Amino acid sequence: MGYQFITADSVPHALELLERYGRDARVICGGTDLMVRLHLKRLPECVFINIRNLEELRYIREEDGMVCIGAGTTLSTLENSLLLLGKAPALFQAAQVFADPNVRHSATVGGNIGNASPSADSAPPLLAFDGQVVVARKDGRRLLPIREFFTGVGRTALEPGELVTEVRFKPNPDSAFVKVGLRNAMAISVVNIAASVDLAQDGTMKDVRIAVGAVAPTPVRAVCAENCLRGRRPEEAVIRQAMDAIQTDIKPITDVRASERYRRIVAENMMRRVVLKACRICENEGGAGR
Amino acid sequence: MSEKVAVSLKINGKEVTLLAAPEQNLLRLLRENGYVEVKCGCEEGDCGTCTVLLDGLSVKSCVTPACACEGREVWTAAGVSRQERIGRLLRDNFAKYGASQCGFCTPGMMVTGVNYLMNNGVPDRQAIRAAISGNLCRCTGYKKIIDAIYHTAQELRRETAGEGML
Ligand SMILES: Cc1cc2nc3c(=O)[nH]c(=O)nc-3n(C[C@H](O)[C@H](O)[C@H](O)COP(=O)(O)OP(=O)(O)OC[C@H]3O[C@@H](n4cnc5c(N)ncnc54)[C@H](O)[C@@H]3O)c2cc1C
Ligand code: FES
Ligand code: FES
Repeated sequence: MGYQFITADSVPHALELLERYGRDARVICGGTDLMVRLHLKRLPECVFINIRNLEELRYIREEDGMVCIGAGTTLSTLENSLLLLGKAPALFQAAQVFADPNVRHSATVGGNIGNASPSADSAPPLLAFDGQVVVARKDGRRLLPIREFFTGVGRTALEPGELVTEVRFKPNPDSAFVKVGLRNAMAISVVNIAASVDLAQDGTMKDVRIAVGAVAPTPVRAVCAENCLRGRRPEEAVIRQAMDAIQTDIKPITDVRASERYRRIVAENMMRRVVLKACRICENEGGAGR
Repeated sequence: MSEKVAVSLKINGKEVTLLAAPEQNLLRLLRENGYVEVKCGCEEGDCGTCTVLLDGLSVKSCVTPACACEGREVWTAAGVSRQERIGRLLRDNFAKYGASQCGFCTPGMMVTGVNYLMNNGVPDRQAIRAAISGNLCRCTGYKKIIDAIYHTAQELRRETAGEGML
C-alpha cells in the first residue's frame, strides 16, 4: 500500500482519521523521531495523521493550580515559558538541554512522550510532578496518570484511535532536572533525573518525588530513594542512604552510550545533585549541557 | 515508493508546487528540485547542514516531513543570503572573518545565524555558541563562525541605535 500522509485540520478531524485508519494510523507532529526512523527503514508502512497545523494543541496555561500543556507545544516554547521557569523549573531545565535549538523548534511534548524512549527528557519532570496525560478518542476522552502511560521501550498505554491532547500537572517551584549525556549539545541522555520536593518551614522534606530515565525500559519513579528522604532533611547521611536505595529502583543496561556500571554510578550521583538543586542548596550543578 | 502528492509552498519568496512522497523529508524534496544549496550530511538530525527557515524558525529539513510544509514558507541559505538584509550582512561577514573553510556546514550555519539575528540576537559569544550548538563544523573550530555572527549582531545593534538618535 505504501505510506500515506493526511493533514488534520482540527482535533475532531484528527480523531475521525485515527478512528478510520485504526492500527494503520500513525500520528506525526514535529517528525523529529519519525523521520529518523523512516531514514533508518525502521518504520512499517502507515497512514501519517499530521497534527502539526493544529494551533489548538499549542498552549501552556494555568487552570485551577494545574499547569496544562498542549501536546503540540514545542520544546522551544517550553524553554521560553516564564510560567515554567517560575513554577516548574524541572521541566523548564529539561527543555533547555533538550537536543539543540533547531530540533527544539520542531520537537513537541506529545511526540516526546508518544515516542516513549526510556531517555525522553520531558518524562522525568512529568513523573516527578505526578502529572496526567489527557487522551482523546472519537467518542470521548480519559485522564491517564503519567505513571501508567509508559509500558515499555517505545510502548505506551495508548490504544488505536487515541491521541494525546495535553499533559497537566501541579507545578512545584522546588523542583529540578539534571541530565548527563556524552557531549554538551544534541546528546541523548545516559541518565536524566528530576526531583520535586515539598519543603517544610524547618527544612525537612515533607514529600519528595524523584524520577529517572535511561536506567530501565521506561522512565521510572525512584520510590526506594524517595522513602529514604521523606520526612528528613537533605543532610549528607540521609542523601547517602538514598544513593544506595536508588540502586534497587533502577535496572540499567549496557548499550552504545554507556555501561550498566557507569549508569549506576551516574544515577546515584545525579540523584544527589538533583535533590540538592531542588532544595536550592547548590543551584549551579546543572549536569551536561549547561 | 508510495504515490507522490502535490505540495504547494513558498520557497525563497516564490510560490511553487512540487511532488513529494508521503514519507519524504523536506531536505530531499528541496534537493530534488534544484535547491542543492541545502546540504545533506547525516539525514538523522545530528549535523545541522540541512537547516532551513520554516515559517521563520530554523529547523533541520532532514527531520521535517515534506508533506507537512504544504502552505508554509521556506527560506534556504541561498535565499536568505541574497534577499534578506540580515542574511547579506552575515554572508559578507562570513567572508570577512573566514567563517567558511570547506564550506559544507556553511548553509546550515548561515540559516541558524540568520535565525539568531532575526530574533533579537545580541552580540554575546556564549549565546551564539548555544544557538549554533546543533550545527557541526569540522574545519573552523567554530571561532570564526562565532566571530562572523557576533560582528553582524554588533553592526545591526549599531544601526538600530543610530536610528534611535534621529
Ligand atoms: C538530533 C536529535 C536530537 C534529539 N535529542 C533529544 C533529546 O535530547 N532529548 C529527548 O528527549 N529527545 C531527543 N530527540 C528525540 C525527539 O526530538 C523527541 O522525542 C521529540 O520530542 C519528538 O517530538 P516530535 O513532535 O518531533 O515527534 P514525532 O516524530 O512527530 O512523533 C514521535 C512519536 O510520538 C507519536 N506522537 C506524536 N504526537 C502524538 C500525540 N499528540 N498523541 C499520540 N502520539 C503522538 C508519534 O506517533 C510517534 O510515534 C532528538 C532527536 C533528534 C533528531
Ligand atoms: S543532514 Fe539534516 S542534520 Fe544532518
Ligand atoms: S567549514 Fe568545513 S565543516 Fe565547517
